[in-house]
Formats: sequence, structure tokens, C-alpha cells
Amino acid sequence: MDPREALRTLDEALARGLEAFARATTLEELEAAQVEVLGRRSPWAGVQRSLGALPAEDRRVVGRRANQVKEELEAALVARRAELERAAEAALLERDRIDVTLPGRRPRPGGLHPLTIVEQEIVDVFTRMGYRVVEGPLVETDWYNFTALNIPPDHPARTEKDTIFLDVPGHPELLLRTETSAMQIRAMERQPPPVYVIAPGRVFRQDTPDATHSPVFHQVEGLAVDEGISFSDLKGTLLAFAKALFGEETRVRMNPDYFPFVEPGAELEVSCFLCRGAGCRTCKGTGWIEMLGCGMVHPNVLRNVGYDPERYTGFAFGMGLERVTMVRYGIPDLRLFYEGDVRFLERFTGVGA
Amino acid sequence: MELGPDALAELLTSKGAKVEAVERPWEGLRGVVVARVLEVRDHPGSDRLCVASVDAGRGPVEVVVGVRNMGPGDLVPYAPPGARLPGQAEPLGRREIRGVASEGMLCSPRELGVSQDHSGILVLPPDAPPGTDVASLLGLDDVVLDLEVKSNRPDLLSVAGVAREVAAALALPFRTPGAVVPEGEERAADAATVEILDLERCPRYVARVIKGVQVGPSPLRVQARLTALGQRPISNVVDATNYVMLELGQPLHAFDLAQLKGPGIVVRRAAAGERLVTLDDVERELTDDDLLICDLERPVALAGVIGGKGSEVSEATRDVLLESAAFERRGIARTSRRLGVATEASYRFSRGVDPEGCGRAADRAAGLIAAWGGGTVLAGWVEAGAAPPRRRVRIRPARAQAVLGVPQTPTSVREALERIWLRVDETEGALVAEVPGFRPDLELEEDLIEEVIRVQGYDRVGETLPAVRQAGGIPPERRLRDRIRRAMVRAGLFETQAYSFAGPHDLALLGQGEADAIRIANPLSADQRFLRTSLLPGLLAALRTNRARQVRGAALFEVGRTFHPGEPVREIERVALALWGEASRGFPEPPRSFDVLDAKGALEVLFEALGIDDHSLGDPPGVPFHPTRSAVVLVGGEVGRASCRERV
Repeated sequence: MDPREALRTLDEALARGLEAFARATTLEELEAAQVEVLGRRSPWAGVQRSLGALPAEDRRVVGRRANQVKEELEAALVARRAELERAAEAALLERDRIDVTLPGRRPRPGGLHPLTIVEQEIVDVFTRMGYRVVEGPLVETDWYNFTALNIPPDHPARTEKDTIFLDVPGHPELLLRTETSAMQIRAMERQPPPVYVIAPGRVFRQDTPDATHSPVFHQVEGLAVDEGISFSDLKGTLLAFAKALFGEETRVRMNPDYFPFVEPGAELEVSCFLCRGAGCRTCKGTGWIEMLGCGMVHPNVLRNVGYDPERYTGFAFGMGLERVTMVRYGIPDLRLFYEGDVRFLERFTGVGA
Repeated sequence: MELGPDALAELLTSKGAKVEAVERPWEGLRGVVVARVLEVRDHPGSDRLCVASVDAGRGPVEVVVGVRNMGPGDLVPYAPPGARLPGQAEPLGRREIRGVASEGMLCSPRELGVSQDHSGILVLPPDAPPGTDVASLLGLDDVVLDLEVKSNRPDLLSVAGVAREVAAALALPFRTPGAVVPEGEERAADAATVEILDLERCPRYVARVIKGVQVGPSPLRVQARLTALGQRPISNVVDATNYVMLELGQPLHAFDLAQLKGPGIVVRRAAAGERLVTLDDVERELTDDDLLICDLERPVALAGVIGGKGSEVSEATRDVLLESAAFERRGIARTSRRLGVATEASYRFSRGVDPEGCGRAADRAAGLIAAWGGGTVLAGWVEAGAAPPRRRVRIRPARAQAVLGVPQTPTSVREALERIWLRVDETEGALVAEVPGFRPDLELEEDLIEEVIRVQGYDRVGETLPAVRQAGGIPPERRLRDRIRRAMVRAGLFETQAYSFAGPHDLALLGQGEADAIRIANPLSADQRFLRTSLLPGLLAALRTNRARQVRGAALFEVGRTFHPGEPVREIERVALALWGEASRGFPEPPRSFDVLDAKGALEVLFEALGIDDHSLGDPPGVPFHPTRSAVVLVGGEVGRASCRERV
């Protein structure tokens, strides 16, 4: 081969090679171009093979040029390969693209009943104060539900609470408990003082369901009997409770009220946690929300369980769980608690669980 | 001392007489005046209507009227255009009624809020000057406080009792409304006799006799007041007894003296099986626990509960025997409850009526009857029995301080009790309070301790915490229940709660009979006449509710008790779950429905949470489960059933 022709062939090989690499749009095409430009059958390889036949002087010139061309082509090849690899990866990532603005996918847990949630909160407050939880039967006897609580037969309080009685032959004393107060007696019978207990549970009245009445509802009863328990201990305990449940700035006040099993008796009002006492719909404009009934345990009740009322005094309180929950969550109608409508229950997902 | 209705309500509430509502029954009444009827003529365009020409002092005007009970010369309430009636938002306008222009309207008693009577136009007493404002003439501007009175405070079931409470709260003097009765010469004791055969059940009976009464309507002011307090005006004599009951708290009964054999009153227990037709026309069979008011031959009233037929005051009555008595409260409560008769009288008597107040109430009512119906009040009472001696209750100031946690001295205790009209004597280390008859609730030291702090103010009680020397605790059953609930929630279920009742359908669904369930003696409805034996019917009912409300799917569970015949009743705590409908909404997963494997999965989550791993499947459990999509789940023994029902 004529050295000049060889040099021209090398220049052409360089120009075509650079063009072929640039034209390749995939790694496979680039591979093919590499074989075509630098492979054994390429014009460049032909020049390389003919070097031996050239005179020494020409062989040096052409050989140097051949090496230069090879280096340039290989550099171009590496650069192009890197380019194509980046593009291929970008294409792969693009194929994997997920629209992150779509809604997140979550596990779908259910939810606790709002009454369970609030009962748990109340119980937590009191167990932290050292109270023990007690539970008892829903079917009670006349003694535990009434007589032992200083509500003897013919007491007007018996007719004011519409009791549901059971029809069990030979057991006229059986009824569905009208208040968790029955647990006061059972708790005191189980142990001598001191007694600090909290008794949550279901209670019953013969009431037709409407927005504010339910034949089935729940109460949380509290009882503390010890030496030296006073009315101000009751108020302080309930203040601590109200702060824990409704916020540190909550205030309480008591008005006289009557329950046969306490004396003195009181109704506790809590400053409205929504308007902070300014007056709103939740507190009917008064700034205060009626929360529970309470008082000092009646000496007759202490006597009925064999406690000495001269030595021991105590306080008791009982609150309607539905009422607290309705106030807390702005629930307008008691019946919602007992319908099982999932759209209502879903509102409490993730609360308390 | 000035105190507006709202301030008064707040004061009473703070003292335990909770004011539920402040009502203004005549709110909005404005501009109605007295007018004289000049002429009533037929309406030219109507058979029913008439046209009245009336003069309220500014010359004749014409109004169209729907009734024709008034005549020329009568005084009537006239509402000119621009006047307002209670409960109507807009003032009256001029209207044309079938071609005749009506300058306002004439009012019925009901339209003015005087009574429920709407049968005709109210005809006013003949002495009212035309043009006078009807609201001020009839006292239609008062405010009504609606009190929630607890069963221990019967003394607050009267206007005077509430006034006495207000006086105590404000440290003001209080005087019970006096009753000066002009009496005739004839002695009541010569006109009738009274004998009590059961002094325990009826400690005191006072009768007054009024002769020559003209029975008729009572004064309009009185009718308006009774109406505002929820009573129906009947006649001057009956209204007087109701008025005094509301004023002083003493229920009274008026007998037609001519209908009483003897005439005399005997108070005795009924014989078992004895019968009495009461004022509501029901013949009642009595027991020997019921107390009767009798004349010398037969029962004439069920004591303290309801009057008897035949001896009541009627339009023909001329002479009245007025009963003002005290009855033992529990006895009245028993009779009222057993017979299902609850009256204003039985309500008060079963809570306790002041036996010291019988005479005063009799005097007051006799005076009103004579004032409203004429006649002569006979001299003196016919009386039997006596008010029992006042109870004396000891109170130790040191004990009061210990119970209340508020410092007390003998002086502070004494002052507080004297404020509520107790007489207090000091003996060594203690005070002894003499309790007036109107406070039957004050029996023990604790009762007085409450009074002390009530008078001093519940806001004086401080806030302390007892030293609880024990760690709080939760019983293991409750912890377990919480774990079960949380596992169910993790499994995607929502907790629900159902009533604890069941109906025959529910039992049938479970393949149970009535013998398997506890029966309720006084159920709310036939569908709730048993205690539930299973949680499943309640869950299925909740699913139905969801479906009826267009919800597409629900996964529910309940933790609760069921009730079973046992020794004598066995309560079992259970957990149950039910899933129905759409399990997934189709995004991001494809849509699908719940099936038995979802229930199984939930149980597996539960078993994991409880550390139970030796569970296995058994045969289909049968009713009420789907035969080919159900199984009993066994953990050692049987603990549950998983199933799929085709239809809810």
C-alpha cells in the first residue's frame, strides 16, 4: 500500500469512525460500530496489516498515525459509551417513574370505639393517681343497686330511675344495674380500707332511645375511702382529673346536688374547654359544662359494708361516659354510639389505639 | 334588694335548686287593650264570622271575629293593628276578611296565654276601664323559673319554699304569706267531724268548712298564673286548692260537703279488696296498705293520691269541706306506684309535706275560696292528730371541719344553720339543731354538714389531694380485653357496640329457644325482651344499618357480655366480628369483597397477639353459618366460629 493512500485511509477511518460512534443511539449499535471501525476487517486494521510491507521511514510515519487514529477513536468510543450508558439508565429510571403526587398507600387499620377511647383515657388518669380498676356484674341485685346505697324500698329515687328488671323465676331481686355505683359496695366488701378504685362499665335504664336518652349507656365510678378523706380532697381529685382530660387551664366548680348515697352531694361543672369560659354552643353560653355527680360517701353506705364511718370517710363520683365523649368530640346524638355506622366509627381511626 | 330573673336563677342553682330554664310565657305580648263591645252583627259574606264594633276609648272600630260569645256591653281584649301576641313574630296588620276591613282582632284566652281555652273571646271583668293595657291588668308580664327539685328537697316544691331559700341565701328575713280569714259565727267543728284511725300514716288532718260558695271561674290573673305553671284552670274552688299547693306546697282536696255522709271524715286503711272509683273514672282495687279518706259510710278519696268520684266539687256545690292533711310519705309512694297514679299531690306527699303547715294552707285556701266564690268560712278548724315534734340533730363542728376540709368553729356552724331557719342549742362539744317540719331531709349529722357548706358556699371548698399509698392497677381480664381490641383494630376492624338486648328473632337466628335466654320483666319493646345470648345478631344488625345507608362495606367487631341462665344468671365476655361487602375500593388494589378468609385472617392476627399457636380448623358449625363457607376454629377446645353468610 502506498503510504499516502494509507494515511488517507487512516484519515477516512477516523472521520467515518467518529461519525459512526456519534450516530450510534444504543450500546448495541455502538458495539457494532466499534467492530466496523476498529475490528479485524476494518480499513484501520487493513492499514495496520500493511505496515510490514512499507519502507522503514513510511512505516514509522504511517504507524504513528495509525496509533493516533486508534487512540482518538477509542477515546471517542469510551466517551460515547458513557453517554449511551447514562441515557440507557435514564430511560430505565424513566420507565420506573412513579407519580409521587398520587395518594400515599397505607395499611388500613380499623379503629376503637370512641367510648373505649375515652374510657381508657379516664381510667389512665386515675390509675396514674393510684386507683385500681374494678369491674363487676351487669346483672345486679336490689341490694347492691339500691338498698346498700341508701336507697331503701319506697325511696323516691327508685321511681326516678327507670330500672329494667329481670324475669328470672325465684329471683325477683335481679335487675340490670342502673349505675356503676353498685360497684362501690362490691369493691368495699372485697377489702378493708383504704380503698381507691375506679369502676367503668355499662349501665341500663328503661329509656326510649333519642338524641339524649339511651337504654344502654356507660358510666365511670370512682371511690376513695380512707382515714381523713375530705370534701376538698374530692374537689382536688376531680380538678386534677379535669385538667388531665381537658387541659391544664381547666377550672372546676361544684353546686349542691342530691344522690342518696352521698352527703354532702355535688354536681361538678368544668370550665368549657372550647371557649375557655367565654360561652359557646357546647356550654350553652354559660362557660361551664355539667360533668358529673359526686359527694362524700353516706355513712349509711359505709355501715352497710361494715366500715366504721367515725373512723373512715370517703368520696365517690360517677360520670356518664357518653356525655364526656359527646362533649369531647362534639357528637350530637347518643344513638350514634350504638348504630355501628362505619362512617361514624372511621372518624376515630388511629385515636387511642 | 333588686335581683333580676337570671341572677336569681344563678343564685338558686349555686344553692342546689337548679334552674333548668327561665321562661317568659307572655314574651312578645304588647299593645292589647281593654275594649267595650258596642255591637255585634252578622258578617255579610259568611255564616260563621261576625263583625264586632268595639271602643277602646278612641271611638268605635270594627273587627271581624270568628266566634260570637261576646255581646254589647262586654269588655274584651282588643289587639289593634301594630299589637303583638305571644309567640307571634309579626305585629298585627289591618286585614280585609271576606270584604270587610278588620281593624285588628279580639283575643281568646289562649291567644293571650291566659289559659288553654280557645272556644271564644275572653270576656273581661266588668270593672276594667277601656283602653287599659291587658297585660298589666292580668299580670301577663311575669317570668317563670323552671326548677329541677331533687327528691330530698320537697320544701322547694312551692313558691314560698323557693322564696324562703332565696331569703336564706341572701340572709334576708322571711315571712310565710299570712292568711287572715274572715270567719263566720258558725263553728266548723259543728258542721263536720274528723277522725284519724291510723295516726302513723296520717299524723294530722285539718279541715276547713266554707258555706254558700258560688262555684265559677276564678279571677283571670289567677287563671293566667296557673296556666303559666302548667295547671289547667277548672273552677274557683279547685283553682284555690291548686294555687295554694303551688304557693305553699301543701296539696289540698275540696269535697262537696253535701256529698259527705255524716258529714264527717274518717282516715283509715283500706280493707284488702275494697274498691273505689277515682276522679279519673277508674275503679281501683285496693290493698290494706292503701290509706283512704272516708265519710261516715264509704271511701271518698285515696289519701294523698287522688280524689274519689261522687264527692268532688261541682257547679252545684254550695258548701265545701277543705282537706289539708299530712301523710306518711313512703305509704303514699307505695300506693302511687302500685296503682300507677302519679298526681301533683302524690308527688309532693311521697317526698314529704310539712305537717306544721297544714293549718296555714287550709286558712289560705279557705280565704281564697271565699274571696273568689263568696260564701262564709266557718269558724276554726276541724282537726285531728298533730304535727309531730321537731327532730333534733347533733352536729360536731370538728367533724364538720374534718368532712369538709374547710375550717369550722361552733359559731360558723351555728350561723350557717340558723340562716336556714334551724334553731341551734349548744351542748358539751356539739351543737343540736332543731329541724323545722319543712326539711324532712335533715336526719343525720352529715345532712347538717352539707347544709353548713351549702350556706357558706361550695366555692369555699379548697382543692387538696388525698395521699394514695398504693400503685394503680388494672385487672388481667381488662388487659386481655385491651389486647384483643387492639389486635382487631390492627386487622382492620372497627369496634362497635350494641344494646345488651335480644328479641325472639335473634334467638331463632342462633337456633336457640326462649329457655336459653334471660327474660326482661319490663322490656322497652317486644324485640328487646331478652338479654342477648350472642354478639352476632347485634353485629348483623349493624351491617344492615350500614347497607341501608348506602355504605359499601363494613368490618366490625364487638367485645361485650352475653347473658345465660345459670346460678341464677351467667355473664360471659365475648368477642365477635362480622365483615360484609366491599373489602377494597379498587384503588390501588383491585376491588374485591370480604369473604370467610378475611375473618380467618383477623382471627390469625388475634391469635398472634395472644400468643396462641395451636389453633386448627374443624367442621362447619351449622346455624347460623353458611354450610360450605364456614368452620369452627379450635384452640384446644372450641373458641370461635368463622363463617361467611350469603345474605345479611
